[in-house]
Amino acid sequence: MRRIRRKVAVVGAGLTLFMRRALETGKELSYYAASQALESAGLRLRDIEAVVVSSGPDAFDGVHMKGEWLSDGAGGYCKPIMRSYVGGGSGVFSIIHGWYMVASGMFDTVLVVAEEKMSSCQPHPQGAFLTIFDHTLERPLGPNLLWIFALEQSRYMHTYGISNEEIALVSVKNKRNALNHPCAQVAAELTVQDVLSSEVVAWPVHRLMVSPVSDGAAAIVLASEHVAKRITDKPVWVEGVGWCLDTSYWGNRDLAYPRYVEYAARMAYEMAGIREPRKEIHVVEPYDPFAYKELHHLEGLLLAERGKAAEDLVNGRFDRDGELPSCPSGGLMGVGNPIAAAGLMKVCEIFWQLRGEAGKRQVPGNPKKGLAQAWGDLMQIGTVVVLGR
Amino acid sequence: MGIREKPTRMDQVQSWRADFPVEYLYTTGVAGERFAKTLRERGMLAATRCQRCGVTYLPPRIYCQRCFADLSESWVEVPLQGVIHTYTVVPVRATGEPSQSLEVIAYIRIDGTEGGILGRVAVSPEAVYIGMAVEGVLAPPAERRGAVTDIRYFKPILS
Ligand SMILES: [Zn+2]
Repeated sequence: MRRIRRKVAVVGAGLTLFMRRALETGKELSYYAASQALESAGLRLRDIEAVVVSSGPDAFDGVHMKGEWLSDGAGGYCKPIMRSYVGGGSGVFSIIHGWYMVASGMFDTVLVVAEEKMSSCQPHPQGAFLTIFDHTLERPLGPNLLWIFALEQSRYMHTYGISNEEIALVSVKNKRNALNHPCAQVAAELTVQDVLSSEVVAWPVHRLMVSPVSDGAAAIVLASEHVAKRITDKPVWVEGVGWCLDTSYWGNRDLAYPRYVEYAARMAYEMAGIREPRKEIHVVEPYDPFAYKELHHLEGLLLAERGKAAEDLVNGRFDRDGELPSCPSGGLMGVGNPIAAAGLMKVCEIFWQLRGEAGKRQVPGNPKKGLAQAWGDLMQIGTVVVLGR
Repeated sequence: MGIREKPTRMDQVQSWRADFPVEYLYTTGVAGERFAKTLRERGMLAATRCQRCGVTYLPPRIYCQRCFADLSESWVEVPLQGVIHTYTVVPVRATGEPSQSLEVIAYIRIDGTEGGILGRVAVSPEAVYIGMAVEGVLAPPAERRGAVTDIRYFKPILS
């Protein structure tokens, strides 16, 4: 991997409420997040040289060529604009995409906007996923995403001897953390028993181990070093980026361990000069669309021993005041999951945590480096960004 | 060796039929709800105006796409009057049936705005021309649903 010379900073962030059914259109949601990000950076739209629009499958919003359709709401009118789309991994991929545009020397300021309006899709956005399976060997059996996650969680639990009580604790932690997030959709004070008493949607997955259907948008502003230093005394630097795709045959992957997340993380750590991630990363936002996924991903990110993340969780290591706060925002399980916007929400959270601006969610200890990660495509991509100050 | 045969019939190769089973319930949005209400209740087109850029947006949007000003409180109403900006003539027919008549489809620039609206024009293909002044004909108030189809068609303004 070559060394990139131009430094890139995050200088602003914005977020809409996450909710089950927004009155606003996708363009309108994008506008609220984008204008808030610009305002927080002290910039105006005319100061922005290029725009990245990130959104998941067109089939969610029900608008084909959704990125292009969102463009004017995202501030992209008559500007160079690109869509960033790797399914669920899109939100974290979007900062990588924007980083390229600035690091390359092509632009000094880039606005990155992520949007999802899943409530349009009826009867349930799940339907949009029914066509992702092999049309000869799998689709005739009628699989849906819940089956696949349940099969993966089951294999993960079996391989490492993890209990469903431990998995349920992820929901408890994240929904509790989200009580302090003003944009949260499904914050709650629950017990492990509450989670395990909720309906089984596909054993061993219970309803309260699944993130909700959401509408929402998030945005950040990226700037080159000389611009960042001129407009803020608290730039947050993009120190490392990484992404990697495993095989598209989900059954050919190691279901108990997300190897592709490890490869993506190693790429980002190398770029950031991180040798001991468990000591050098102070706050983390791993992707948690399902409760077990947070643990799965923490292991892939090399932030927990393989098969031991559940034990760390039980011991409080991932609490907001623990040794490595994980999902201090409340994550997808608590704040909500408007796919691409949820990934960028995690980047916003790390930005606010490193600037000491996370309010009631602020983790102690003055964190200097943080990591956000997302996962998606055909359940096989890991996208990682390391931010620092 | 790669592709060796060129099938010429759909049923010549083994296949499996399926659909993409979703449908949509779109929100009209902040700007869209105001547009619909104005059309239904007053028979006018609601547009938003950016004072700074001097632009009136139709379809209306709650932001200025040029300067990102918040236009959610900056509304104007304009009548259903404009000029044919461009048009086409298409056959009217049920699927598979031979054409029975022709109709004129036009993009109509609405006076006083930057934009306009797509509509059918009740005029013969021989008589239509680019630049023709037209006005919209609305459904009676009781039949309006707050949708663009409340504008039944456009017709030439006779001078
Ligand atoms: Zn303007």
